[in-house]
Amino acid sequence: MASAGSQVAELASKLYDACVNEFDPDHLFYQNDFLNLKIIPKNDVALLLQCAQSLVDQNLFRLLQKDGKLTWRLIDREDAEKLRNLTPDEAMVYNVIHSTGRTGIWVRHIGSRTNLHKSILDRCLKSLEGKNYIKSLHNVKYPSRKMYMLAGLAPSEEVTGGAWFTDGVLDANFINTVAGFIEFTVSKMSWYEVPASESGRNKRIKTASGKADVKSDEKTYLPYPHGYKGYPNVEMITSAVNSSGITPVRLGEESVVQLMEMLCYDNKLVSLGAGEFYRSLQSPSVIQANQKRKPPTEGDDLAVVNKHLVKNGMTEAPCGQCPVFRLCSPGGAVSPETCEYFDPWLSNGLGF
Amino acid sequence: MTTQCSSELCMLLIEDNFGELFARIFTVLQRYERLTLPRLKFYSRLTDRQLNNGISAMIQHHLVYHFTSVEENNTYYEANPQAAYYLVRSGKILQHVDNRLGEYAAKVMEAIMFLGHTSITHLETLPQLQPNQPLTNGVNYDEERPETNGETNGDHEEEASETNGDHAVSQKPARLHPTLKSLASHGYIHRVREGHFQSPNDNWLDCNRIVSSRPDVKAMKGKQQQAEIEEKSKNMVKERTEGDLSRGLMFNGLPQGVKRMFGGASGSTNAQKGTNDVNGDHAEDEEDEGNDWSEDEDGIDSAPMDSNLIVRVNYEKLDVALRNTQILELARQCAPPVSLEIYDCLLRRIEYQTPRCRDTYEIPREGEEGEQYSAPIQLSAIVNDVDPNLDLTGCIGPMNPTPTSNRRKRPLDDGTNGVNGDDHEDESTEVNRAYQIDQHLSYLSQAPFNLTTKHNIGGLDTWRIAFRGIARKLRHLELERMIESRYGDVALRVIRVLHAKGRLDEKRLQEISLLPFKDLRQTLASMQTGGFVDLQEVPRDAQRQPSKTIYLWYYDPDRVCSSILEDTYKAMSRCLQRIKFEREREKDFLEKTERTDVKGHEEEFLSEAELEHLRNWKAKEALLLAEVSRLDDMVAVFRDY
Repeated sequence: MASAGSQVAELASKLYDACVNEFDPDHLFYQNDFLNLKIIPKNDVALLLQCAQSLVDQNLFRLLQKDGKLTWRLIDREDAEKLRNLTPDEAMVYNVIHSTGRTGIWVRHIGSRTNLHKSILDRCLKSLEGKNYIKSLHNVKYPSRKMYMLAGLAPSEEVTGGAWFTDGVLDANFINTVAGFIEFTVSKMSWYEVPASESGRNKRIKTASGKADVKSDEKTYLPYPHGYKGYPNVEMITSAVNSSGITPVRLGEESVVQLMEMLCYDNKLVSLGAGEFYRSLQSPSVIQANQKRKPPTEGDDLAVVNKHLVKNGMTEAPCGQCPVFRLCSPGGAVSPETCEYFDPWLSNGLGF
Repeated sequence: MTTQCSSELCMLLIEDNFGELFARIFTVLQRYERLTLPRLKFYSRLTDRQLNNGISAMIQHHLVYHFTSVEENNTYYEANPQAAYYLVRSGKILQHVDNRLGEYAAKVMEAIMFLGHTSITHLETLPQLQPNQPLTNGVNYDEERPETNGETNGDHEEEASETNGDHAVSQKPARLHPTLKSLASHGYIHRVREGHFQSPNDNWLDCNRIVSSRPDVKAMKGKQQQAEIEEKSKNMVKERTEGDLSRGLMFNGLPQGVKRMFGGASGSTNAQKGTNDVNGDHAEDEEDEGNDWSEDEDGIDSAPMDSNLIVRVNYEKLDVALRNTQILELARQCAPPVSLEIYDCLLRRIEYQTPRCRDTYEIPREGEEGEQYSAPIQLSAIVNDVDPNLDLTGCIGPMNPTPTSNRRKRPLDDGTNGVNGDDHEDESTEVNRAYQIDQHLSYLSQAPFNLTTKHNIGGLDTWRIAFRGIARKLRHLELERMIESRYGDVALRVIRVLHAKGRLDEKRLQEISLLPFKDLRQTLASMQTGGFVDLQEVPRDAQRQPSKTIYLWYYDPDRVCSSILEDTYKAMSRCLQRIKFEREREKDFLEKTERTDVKGHEEEFLSEAELEHLRNWKAKEALLLAEVSRLDDMVAVFRDY
């Protein structure tokens, strides 16, 4: 029996080495894969089962189930070493956490999957964290959940929320900086800058058609004709952003697309041909002026708003901003006769 | 149309324009809908005399529909809120006519408007439309309003015939007929038909009845009969209410009197820009008689119009014209001035061929509306229309800018747009010009507004406009303006995301809009209170526990539009009521200025301080009226386009 046991151990270690050499570490092994290695004499399935079981016991194989069939996966010798030092409970918890990979797992899900009592689970997590095998992480989608993942892994985009989150919080400053940069870059590429010798002529045209005077030191920008192919696409913008040095990390194209879509919703950019190209609506000089103006007027939003979209009847009339407009009726407590907004509005409009 | 706010507004408008009697009758009719004369008398508590005078005058102004049923022999009266509402737009319409056809045309229009509908003969006799009339305040309806409406409306027929005898034959106003013709060919006025005095529903039912009693229709069965009745009655209603006078007056697709626009092309657009907001004082800016009506115009077509013809203002057509000015405003946001000029020409051409803003009565729900294209306009026609002195170059950049272009002397020369003003004598300039105009129109066809659409018919390039799409954009723009002013630009982004993506939960919304949670929640909550966005609950189990429920935010522009429309009516009412109140406050003073001896001689009778006071009052009134007119712009966008 002992010899049989040692034979199994020997075969098992042979099998393990063969698997490590023949297959990549993420390979999912089926029974046939082992038999094809020709290590088990006479393809004895019972013996194979014993070997596999002994490897699983040594934490060198992980037993999985796929489509109702048993499958195995390799574990590094180092990891196996780690696992061997753990108590069975800890090992179970570790395996569960391991199985979720880069997304991490919520403590309550660990509990339901391992069926461990909460206090035992806590103890296991604590000891695993102490050994630096696992780490807790912050999920953007569920900020209140306590989640764990293996210490050696970086959390996935889904968990961190992508490039725009720092420690699970949206980084507004960063976004604004990059957005401003992108807007300006796109704008520079979607307006034709009239060379200095030309601008004199254009100035004349503009004044002749009754438009405001163009100051001589300002550059003149012209829109490109319909069907122009030189508008920037996402790759160009991504490389421009990454080479500009305003971001500490390299931004992926998806992050930049996300931001450009946001700019489209702000009506700053327009995407042409289903997101193939982007075009800016305002010329670089206007954008520059806007960006310069922002900080001082941030406080009183009314002034900014009025400049932005043109006003309409409702935003001008006192009724448009009246907080008690719904209650207003002639002869009521709030009525056009007793309205306190009309007089200031009238005197404001007339300038006396 | 008849909601609380709109009926209040209509009542105020009628009261303001025609006095209390009309307003009373109108209110009763709006409250009780269709009424026979005895019922109307009972509810309104007016005397027979008052009621008869009032009703007949209101019919004259199309404020009341009437319908005599054949079976019961009863005549029913019904309010016409549309006509009442259009009173507020009169200033804008006159302004538009003034811009297009000159001051005299505006005067004629004003006279027609003032009379509701009128025969040509009567127009001939009006003193203010005489050719050599010294300047008076003529039809300044602000002043004439209170005293004249009763008599003018009641017995204008006699008055007309009486003055006709000694006056009209000997001294026919020379300019009246060409002006009327050009108004008619623009479609701004149309013939009054019997059917116009009945409400659309009555017309429809009446036609339905007539059609279904025909023997050939009776012989049909089931669905076929239904369809036949539908079809025939539609045609019949159309036939009955068709008042188009422009047929036969159009020349090469252009209405008469349109030549004027070349001379002052740039001037008139400038004027349009500034005048949109002044409604109240249109009577004050009467300059001298000199409009630039060229005299040879009379020579072309001196045949007078049929003097028995009865005409009225065609508001449907004027809505089309006003919508075009709004579209032009929209274009101003994104296009260089030269493109705007060209676009203006296109829009004018389209206006001549568009009888009304849309075919359906209600604005179709968003997403369910098909596209409705305007009549296609040939590129060559636009080329002819565009001011030949307009410099088309230098507004659009070259197609392939070369990196070396900075060093070249004239890089635009080799670009697509590179023809300079000095090689005009070339044979190729005509072609080139067409090409450039095409370029400008293509430029306008781009996102985000898609103001034009190119369409190829039989190898000829034509351009047209997708009306429903642009009307939708105009609506959204108005909504966005309001949202931005109330909730800031964060809200604007959120609204646009919701509009583009449909229903979203908070997390997804944050991912797309890239806004911090706190800001997002605050904005959404305040917008929900304001009625702009709403929350849908989707429970995941039957218990509907909050923790197991998905919450989705959504933005329904149709719903928001209709509630904003109501708010707009209300705001307009409030402005009008405020004018009333302010007038009450200044009652004593204003009565003095309105005394017959003081009026028109203010300088003589009033002190310096009083004159100043009067000016202030006028400015105040003008400001409030201007605001009403601005609000009317919004109503037009939400309801009429």
